[in-house]
Amino acid sequence: MTTHIGIITNNQYGVFQQNVIAGAQAVAARYGYQVLVDSRDEADINSPTTLDLEALGGVLVIANPVPDDFIQSIHQSGKPVSLVSHQIVGIPGVVSNNSEGIAKLVQHLVQECGRRQFVFINGNMAQKDGVERQHVFRQELMRYNLPDAYFLHGDFEPEIAIQSLQAFLAEAPPFDAVVAADYLMARAALGVLAEYGYAVPADVSVVGFGDGVEAAEAALTTVAADVVELGKRSIRQLIGQIQGLSIVGTTVLSVDLIIRETSMNPSRERGV
Amino acid sequence: MKPQKATSGQLRQHNRQLLLRAVQSGLADNRAALSQVTGLAKPTVSDLIGELLDEGLLIETGHGKSAEGGGKRPRLLEFVPDARQVIGVSVSHSAIRGILTNLNGQISAQHYSLPNGSLLNDLICVVNGLVAQLDAPLLCIGVGVPGKEELPQTLETKLAEHFDVPVYIGNNTELAAVAQFAFGAASEADSLVTVLVNRGVEVGYVLGGSAYHSGGDIGELRLDNGLPLEALLSWSYIYERACQLLEECPHSHLSLDDLSYLTIQHAALNGDACALTLQGEIAAHLGHIFAWIIALLKPEHISLAGNITDMGTALLAQAIEEAKRHFPTQRIQQVAFSLATASTLSATGAVAQALQQELGLNG
Repeated sequence: MTTHIGIITNNQYGVFQQNVIAGAQAVAARYGYQVLVDSRDEADINSPTTLDLEALGGVLVIANPVPDDFIQSIHQSGKPVSLVSHQIVGIPGVVSNNSEGIAKLVQHLVQECGRRQFVFINGNMAQKDGVERQHVFRQELMRYNLPDAYFLHGDFEPEIAIQSLQAFLAEAPPFDAVVAADYLMARAALGVLAEYGYAVPADVSVVGFGDGVEAAEAALTTVAADVVELGKRSIRQLIGQIQGLSIVGTTVLSVDLIIRETSMNPSRERGV
Repeated sequence: MKPQKATSGQLRQHNRQLLLRAVQSGLADNRAALSQVTGLAKPTVSDLIGELLDEGLLIETGHGKSAEGGGKRPRLLEFVPDARQVIGVSVSHSAIRGILTNLNGQISAQHYSLPNGSLLNDLICVVNGLVAQLDAPLLCIGVGVPGKEELPQTLETKLAEHFDVPVYIGNNTELAAVAQFAFGAASEADSLVTVLVNRGVEVGYVLGGSAYHSGGDIGELRLDNGLPLEALLSWSYIYERACQLLEECPHSHLSLDDLSYLTIQHAALNGDACALTLQGEIAAHLGHIFAWIIALLKPEHISLAGNITDMGTALLAQAIEEAKRHFPTQRIQQVAFSLATASTLSATGAVAQALQQELGLNG
């Protein structure tokens, strides 16, 4: 019996990837599988994988570190494949509920914090999560009849989010809420806002998608799309396939709103 | 015809459900109290509670206080919602959506897929997606479908054989109503009607927690203009109507490129004449439906479900006003109205119905 599972990812030391891999490893070990990781160079996604695919029971692919047609070729060879935060027709995957999460964040900001003029920091628009979170955010603006938002480049990279926000603030536009497509960019935004003299949450509410210890440390309001859980659930889907379950479609994990200190305007909270 | 007597097995099952429901709802938390509230003999209670403890559905959590007259302190019982899990699936023309819940209906994972040919195979692949995520033994499966009567009768049997658990199949709209009664905003109402507007127009009726199986498709009912409801409320008709209106008012903010219930709602909120006309026409049709339902079924609560709920509370409010044109205002005002927006509504109802059948739990 094959006792190895492969994970293909870019940047295995990124916070998101690290947490997904940790979750996957914990569950795989319980089922007697050892995990091998191929961490890809983002600049060269076409380079051959370091994994011996023949020797693996199945492959977990995190986001989009290799071309879709390469993943499809593994799947078509009969090898079980599960995708994490990515979607390819015909291949099962696991994602966080982007629609539910963004909708909860916007609802909280509008109905409980009284915010109306939003800034949205985009994720990586080559990834499903990035596209979907922005799409849902636009829909929620319509639902609450809010004015057009400012959309900033973020790429799921805190450094890029910082640069975009600095350039934006230099023009001093009116806004009262920042929604970031992930919590690490939202945490980075807190530093920039302080640097430019904005009080959070008195002047501006800040929220981000996803949750982790970094968000809790920064007292950031988030929706808890637990990334370790994402890793656990995705490896269970993969092991299910290895054990003979025929799975089609996508598993969606629920998210919960976690209200911390960066969103509620204290005066509103007191009903002033 | 003489009524048939219940078999001893059915009686035992009924009594088990009675006890489980009493503990789950907080009605009683020890054997003596259970005997009192259910009227079952103490030895029967002890025997069945022993069975429920062995199965992990109940646990003993310590000792309570003695009765006033003294005596042994009772051993306290608690319901274990995570002892089993239930899968609920709803099938529509555009997607198959499944949810995995505990015995309180709390969702831990969802799984969806596009229909891909054989309904049985599609269902198996979606249920498998949730079987892979089980944290406890699977108790049963509930399935919601549009128009149950069109289903092959073998579907339930084949699914039950495949997964080796009981399977319960119901109509999506009735299950949407059951979900709201069991877990949703209408849990206080004794009678609830859900109007589901998607491809067709369906009505689900729940009375005292149970789906009343005479509802279903009302899409073929015709209004004054001779057109059936399912045509007047179908997306294709609304799209066609938007095309006509946009020709008449070219300065509208609506665009056919991204026309949706949400964009119509947004434009209407901003005073767009074309969107307001569309909203008014849809509200008029819904008002008719609401009036018929109130006249015939006298429900305490009516909820509107389906993609049309993207048009929000403005549409609902206008539809209620329209209903008053067809039926006395006082009767309309006695009814509570709501929007049921969750995409997992019918799957949740499938869970609620399966739980009710299997364990006698009402959410």
